[in-house]
Amino acid sequence: MSDCVSIVIVSHSAEVAKGAADMVREMVGDEVRVAHCGGNPEGGLGTNVPAIIEAIRSVYGPQGVALLIDLGGAETNSEMAIEMLPAEMQDRIVICNAPIVEGAVMAATEAAGGSSLAEVRATAEEFLS
Amino acid sequence: MNDAAKDLTEALGEAVIQDPTGLHARPAVKLTKLAKAHQAAVEVRVGAEADWVNAKSPNAVMKLKAGHGATLRFRASGSDAAAAVAALVALVERDFDG
Amino acid sequence: MAPDLLPRLIAATAATIAAHTEELTTLDQAIGDGDHGVNMKRGFDAIAAAAEEIGAQPLGGALQKAGMTLVMNVGGASGPLYGSLLMGLGKAAGQDGDPDIAAMLAEGVAAVKKRGKSEAGEKTMLDVLVPVLEALRAAEPGGLTAAARAAADRGLAATEDMLATKGRASFLGERSVGHLDPGARSSALLVHAVCDVIEGKA
Repeated sequence: MSDCVSIVIVSHSAEVAKGAADMVREMVGDEVRVAHCGGNPEGGLGTNVPAIIEAIRSVYGPQGVALLIDLGGAETNSEMAIEMLPAEMQDRIVICNAPIVEGAVMAATEAAGGSSLAEVRATAEEFLS
Repeated sequence: MNDAAKDLTEALGEAVIQDPTGLHARPAVKLTKLAKAHQAAVEVRVGAEADWVNAKSPNAVMKLKAGHGATLRFRASGSDAAAAVAALVALVERDFDG
Repeated sequence: MAPDLLPRLIAATAATIAAHTEELTTLDQAIGDGDHGVNMKRGFDAIAAAAEEIGAQPLGGALQKAGMTLVMNVGGASGPLYGSLLMGLGKAAGQDGDPDIAAMLAEGVAAVKKRGKSEAGEKTMLDVLVPVLEALRAAEPGGLTAAARAAADRGLAATEDMLATKGRASFLGERSVGHLDPGARSSALLVHAVCDVIEGKA
């Protein structure tokens, strides 16, 4: 399990984040660890740094973590969250420039075969190209 | 057989898609994962004319858009090529395990 | 540094954000996702709630702590952006003596640019902060707050005609023109609040 890249889904909506994570688990299986977070601290639409840090930490492993995110603030908050983690973890966390749901499924499919973080990211980002 | 000869081992196989909606997202993911579980290089195409694509690439397999009744052809090369093709053909014939 | 400076800064900034929450929301509904007012209020309320702890530190540490409080509480892009601003200000505040406000703001502005991958002219908070920084650098020692206030108002007004290329507003393209930028508005509010404190009005 820990020899696969993990996936973290960050959406403005807690329900979108959960739904995308559910799709990954159902379509790809349990061998890839998936965490998700969404919503502001009061449960409205938004993203928040502590929740992103928590999600990353919950699935972090030596193979690294690929983040799939949605709009605007999700990126700024995700970058902030990554920078607040220890330096040795930061090198193994990437944000994929890919649509959140499709990218998550593609990234997890790639990760399930034991691919590297760079390969996982490339597969997610290839989806639209 | 020495190692060099093993790597040249090639295998071919084919199977017809039974799912009424064709090779949709979930079967495509299953196919990719199964291909990636093998060491051999595995390629797939729809019918006899199309270009071969990497069966281990989720994006490539998703874009095949193979419909119901289409024939998926597999070819593999590498030490476990025969096993890879046999497993993939069986997966399609089992209708991707529902 | 006056001993009551930090409590006054915290109270004044939280008060102006609270008083203008609806206005920020309205501005953000026009070109963003409408959460700027509520997000900013949540963040500055969190700073106010931690006022005692923050106020017990020297200026630099207090600003960094306040910035981190925004990062952890806002729940929108403005959290990391304003958080980076305050942490940048704090980083350049130095240990003791009178802080160089222009040097502090320069560090804060640099942090915002880096965090937002943005420059002035893109209809963001930087369109207030950068002119304020330039005004501070050019101002006579006695005229700092007057120069900062004027630059903030000028910078804010200029965002109305700008085309957004960063953040949510950029999705609107041409339709973003004709609206003040909510982040520029909140920055201008904060500049005025800080000037009020420095001038002894708050």
